[in-house]
Amino acid sequence: MGGLNTSLSIGMQALDAAQGALDVTSHNIANANTPGYSEEVVQLSANSMTMSRGQVSGGGVTLDGLQGTQNQLINLQIQQQTSLQSSTNTQSASLQQMQTFFTTTGTDVASALTALSSSLVALSASPGSSVTQQSVLASGQNLAQAFNTTANGLTSAQSTADGLVTESVAQINTLTQQIGALNGQVARLTASGQSGGAVEDQLNQSVQQLSQLTGISITQSSDGETITTGSGTPLVMGDQSFSLQTTTGSDGFQQVLDFNGKDITNSIQGGQLGGAIQVRDTTVPGLLSQLNTLASQFANSFNAVQAGGIDSNGNPGQNVFTIPINLADAASGISVAITNPALIAVSSVGSPNSNGNVASLSAVLTTALPSGQTAAMAYASLVFDVGSQAANASTQSTAIGENLLQLTNQLGATSGVNINDETANLIRFQTAYEAGARIVSTIQQLYADTMNMMT
Amino acid sequence: MMAAGVQDRNRLATEYLKLLRSLATELEMATHAISHNALAELEESLADQQVLSAKLSVLAGELSGPGEANPTTSPIRVDDRDLRKQILIATDVLQKLNRGYAALLQHSSRSAALMASLLGSFKGQFQEASGPRSKYQTWSCQM
Repeated sequence: MGGLNTSLSIGMQALDAAQGALDVTSHNIANANTPGYSEEVVQLSANSMTMSRGQVSGGGVTLDGLQGTQNQLINLQIQQQTSLQSSTNTQSASLQQMQTFFTTTGTDVASALTALSSSLVALSASPGSSVTQQSVLASGQNLAQAFNTTANGLTSAQSTADGLVTESVAQINTLTQQIGALNGQVARLTASGQSGGAVEDQLNQSVQQLSQLTGISITQSSDGETITTGSGTPLVMGDQSFSLQTTTGSDGFQQVLDFNGKDITNSIQGGQLGGAIQVRDTTVPGLLSQLNTLASQFANSFNAVQAGGIDSNGNPGQNVFTIPINLADAASGISVAITNPALIAVSSVGSPNSNGNVASLSAVLTTALPSGQTAAMAYASLVFDVGSQAANASTQSTAIGENLLQLTNQLGATSGVNINDETANLIRFQTAYEAGARIVSTIQQLYADTMNMMT
Repeated sequence: MMAAGVQDRNRLATEYLKLLRSLATELEMATHAISHNALAELEESLADQQVLSAKLSVLAGELSGPGEANPTTSPIRVDDRDLRKQILIATDVLQKLNRGYAALLQHSSRSAALMASLLGSFKGQFQEASGPRSKYQTWSCQM
């Protein structure tokens, strides 16, 4: 049995520890539904006990401080998955926007090719009719417009992605400044022996927001978190942040530069920024390339057949389609060169009512282009490509979302506040305290009995 | 007969002293258990305290009982002066320790009441932990 002073000292320490724990628990419960909040736990350490002449002295407990329960590994996984999902979502949204230009509306490329084929069949039946000739000309114009509309739609999606690059960089710079400031706060609090829990939660929230914007890599150092892009460009080091910049590149799109002015556009992956760059520089150019090739090869093939025929005026056929010299502008710039329907080269020999060349013109639609596919098949491949990419992005986003949900649940299990546990413990302690209070009364009565006994 | 009575009383008084010291030890253990959030230890100590308190009450009755039976006789005393002094010291220590323990219990009960009020007023949707039960031990009732 220790001395009285020792016992009282232990009791007082216990009171201090209890008060601290109460404050922390109140804070935990009040923040049970706060997004990103991690439970704080009281750090207690037992004081050393010494044995002297058969008596124990010392002991008790000291309140050392508070410690957050953030699980850094799960946080890291969440940041990575968040970044991936954000990138996938950005791509998915863009592809869905692009899909609308490839759906069958009657004015799309596939419908226009079908209509041109039908008009050529009608022309074959009535090669001398100005009505059927006009119909072929109108179908050609509709096809050119369909190419124009689709190309412009893709370019529009590309411009939207480019705007997102500028917007994302601005948001990244705002967040890295905030993270630098929060890093400094955590370092100061830690140095003064205080809990950085609330600030660390805020820091984690900001880092998670940053991971939505771009893929990041995080390392812990004595100064706080060091954050770089996935390829190593520094964004935050301790309380210092490094802003990204944008500048207009030779292609007219915004390029991302690091704090030294080095172009890092191609190395950025993940997040909204990575997704936007992927759409702008890879997805859309790939689709545009297929569309341009189709427009160019079809128009050239049609013009070649037209040139081998004779029009209603007895002259060799002129080009029906005009195509820009630059292949990259083929789909957006294709147009119909003639306005007079009589200039359609219906005849192969030049005799009146001859339709020899119409079959050849129709064959352009059913014969493989230099790409190895017919025009309709080439366009179908393009539509499939867009649909497939959109579906993949959507599926991937869903899968990542489920993964994120599991990770968030895991984080909740390790860092969240479980009210049920808190309540169950509370009731058991209350019961124990009531029992203890009854014993205190009994001991007081015993004291009186003993004093009476001794007098 | 008289010598035998004294001997019995001394034996009872020695037992009484031993129980007083054991009870004091239990109060220290209970204080320690509360400060370390060790609910099981606290509940075990409380059970021991109840047993010790009951035994002490019975012994106190036995030591003072004959005096009540015969009012003309002086109150029963512990004849061994040294034993008597040790009992007084142990009682004093126990009394003071009991006050500290009472203060701790009072504070803890008040805290528990505050917590109960806080939990009762918490209307939000509770966050349920899921997945493996790897949750850290919490300190809500470390009061």
